[in-house]
Amino acid sequence: MSERVRRIGRLRSTVRRSILLPSGRAAARVLSPIDRALQPGANLFNRFLGSYVGEVTGLQLGLLVAALVALATVPMWAPLFVGNYMRTLAVACIWSIFAMGWDIQSGYTGYISFGHSALSAAAGYTTALLAVNLSPVPSFWVTIPVSILAALVLGLLIGLPSLRLSGPYFSLVTFVAVLLFYRLTIGFSETLGGENGFQAVEVFTWDFTERYYLMLVPMLLVAAALTVVARSNVGTVLVAIRENERAVSAAGLDPTKFKLWSFALSSITMGIGGVLLAHFGGNVDPTTFVVVDRSIEMIAMAVIGGMSSVLGPIGGAFLFVLLRDEILRLWFGHSTRWVMLWLLVLLVLVFARNGLFRWIWHAVGAVGGDRE
Amino acid sequence: MLDSLLSILITGAMISALYALIAIGFTMIFGVGGVLNLAHGALIMAGAYVFVILNRDVIWESVALPRLVVFPVAVGVIGLASYGLYAGLVRYIEDDPVITFLATVVVATMTTEIALGIFGDQPYAYTVVSGQVGIAGTSVSYNDLAGFVLSWIAIGLLWYYITQTDGGRSILAASMSERGAQLTGVDLHSVRTRTWLIAGGLAGLAGIFLGGDQAATPLMWLNPLALAFIIVVIGGIGSIKGSIIAAYLIGYTETLTVSMLGQSFRGILSLIILLVVLFLLPQGLYGREYVHE
Repeated sequence: MSERVRRIGRLRSTVRRSILLPSGRAAARVLSPIDRALQPGANLFNRFLGSYVGEVTGLQLGLLVAALVALATVPMWAPLFVGNYMRTLAVACIWSIFAMGWDIQSGYTGYISFGHSALSAAAGYTTALLAVNLSPVPSFWVTIPVSILAALVLGLLIGLPSLRLSGPYFSLVTFVAVLLFYRLTIGFSETLGGENGFQAVEVFTWDFTERYYLMLVPMLLVAAALTVVARSNVGTVLVAIRENERAVSAAGLDPTKFKLWSFALSSITMGIGGVLLAHFGGNVDPTTFVVVDRSIEMIAMAVIGGMSSVLGPIGGAFLFVLLRDEILRLWFGHSTRWVMLWLLVLLVLVFARNGLFRWIWHAVGAVGGDRE
Repeated sequence: MLDSLLSILITGAMISALYALIAIGFTMIFGVGGVLNLAHGALIMAGAYVFVILNRDVIWESVALPRLVVFPVAVGVIGLASYGLYAGLVRYIEDDPVITFLATVVVATMTTEIALGIFGDQPYAYTVVSGQVGIAGTSVSYNDLAGFVLSWIAIGLLWYYITQTDGGRSILAASMSERGAQLTGVDLHSVRTRTWLIAGGLAGLAGIFLGGDQAATPLMWLNPLALAFIIVVIGGIGSIKGSIIAAYLIGYTETLTVSMLGQSFRGILSLIILLVVLFLLPQGLYGREYVHE
C-alpha cells in the first residue's frame, strides 16, 4: 500500500518541480509589475479597511475589484454568451449565500453539518405558509424577517442539543434533522404541501436584470458582514475551536457559547438565502429546499472553493453553478452532467483539499514576494 | 389483534435481518478504519442492479444464468467494488475525516446519477425467489424468507470468523486498538482489505433482497443507509452485537409505525428514537466512546 502511495507522492512532486514551479515563476514575473502598480491602492485599502476585512496585496485587490466589476456589469456581457447566464448567475448568488452560511459554521468550527438545507427550508416554508394561510398576504417587510427568524429558531433547536456532541455524532444528528424535516413534509402533507410543496409564493420580479441585482446585493452584503465577523476575534476563536477545542476552554473561553454563536449566525445567513430562493422561483417544495442533495451541494461548493474563508465558498458556488447549469450542459445529457460534476468535485477533494480559490488567492498574494 | 401482532412480528423480523446486514458492514468499516463510509448505500443499490443485469438473459440471447450462480457472483462483485472504493479512493484520504466523509457522499451521489443514466428512474421489479408461503396466517414471500435465512447464515459465519479464526481476530484487534494490533504483528493493510470486502459483500446481499422485496430504483439506498446510521448509533459505533440488536429494534419500530400510522410516517419514529438515544447515551448501547483526536 505505502509503496503505491509513495509512488504517487513522487509523481506529484516531480510534476510540481518540473511544471508547476517554473510556470508559476514565469507567471509571477509577468504579474509582478501589475502588482507593484496596484500597490498604492492596496495600501489605501489596508489603511482604512485592513483591520476589518484583512490586508491585501496589490494584485489581490486588483482581482477583487475585477471580480466585483464583472459581477456588477453582468447585464452588459451575459447576453453575449449562449445560454441563460442572467438566471444562472442569479442562482449562483443565492447558492453563494448558502455556501457561506454553511462555511461560517462548519468550515470555521470544524463541526461538519449535513443539515443546513433544513435551515434554508425553514425560511422557505415559513414564507410559503404565511402566503398560503393568511388571506391578505403580508408585505415582504413582514414575511422576510419572520422567515429569517424561523430559520434562526430551527437552527437553535438543532444546534443547542447537537453541539454537545462531537465528530461524526454531530454530523449524524444534523443529517437526521434533514431526513426528519423531509419525512414531516411527507407525513403531514396537508399542512406542509407534501411532495409538490407550494407554488403560492409571490415572485419578486420576472425581469432578468432586476432579479439578478436583487440577488447580488444581498449576497455582497452577507459576504461583507461575514468577512468582518470572520476577521474579528470571534472568527479567530472559531478556528481555534476547530484546531484544539480543549485549548480554547483552557484559555478561559467557553467553546459552546462560540459554537452556538456560529450556528446562529449561520442560521440567519441560511434564512436570508432561503427567503431569496423562495421569492426567486415562487415554489417551495422538498426537492428545491429540503432533500439531502441540497446540503451536499452546499458543502461541495464550500469545499471546492476553500473552507473557512469567505471568498472560497463564493468562488466555489459560482464555479459549481456555472458548471452545472451552463458549461457542462453544452456537452452532456442530464445524468452524465451530474456524474462529470461530482467527478470534478471528487478530484478537487483528493488533489486540492484546501480548495481551488484559496489556492489561487494565496498564489496571487505571493506574487512579488513576502511583504509582511 | 393476535393475528396482526404475529404478522408484525414476522414482517418485522424479515426486514430487520436485512437492516442488520447493512449496519454490520457500515459499523465494521468505522470500527477498523475510523471511516464513515457514506458510499455504503451506493453498494446496496449497486447490489440490486448487478443482480438485475446478470439475471437478465444478456449473456447469450436466450440463455439466462441460473440464479444459484448469479446470486453469489453479484455478492462477490459488490464485495470487490467495495474493496475498489477503498483501494482507489479512501486509502489516499482516510487521514482527514471531513474529506473522507465528503468524498464518500460524492461517490454515492455519483453512483446514483450513473444508475439514473443507465436504468432511468423507473423502478425495476424482480424477485430473487418467487412465490409465497403462509406462516401463522401471514403471507411471506420466499424472497423475504430467503433474505432472512441467508442473513442469519451470514451473521453466523461472520461471528465464527471473527471469534474463532486468527484472520478474524486480527480484525477485532485492529478495531480495538490499531496501534496495539500493529505491535502484535497484525498486518493492517490486509485487515482493512478483508473488512471492506466483507462489508461490501454484506451490503450486496442486503441490496439484492431489498430490491427483490420493493423493486430496484436509483434512490433505493437512501432509506436503508439512513436506517443503518440510526442503527449503528443506537447500537454503538463499531459494535457488531449492538448493530444486530438495534437493527431489530428499528426494524420492528418501522413495521409498527407503518401498520399503525401508515406508510407516510415510515421512519419518523426511528429518527426520534435516534435523537433520544444520542442525547441520553451518546456512545450507544455497546459502543466505546468516540475519541476525537
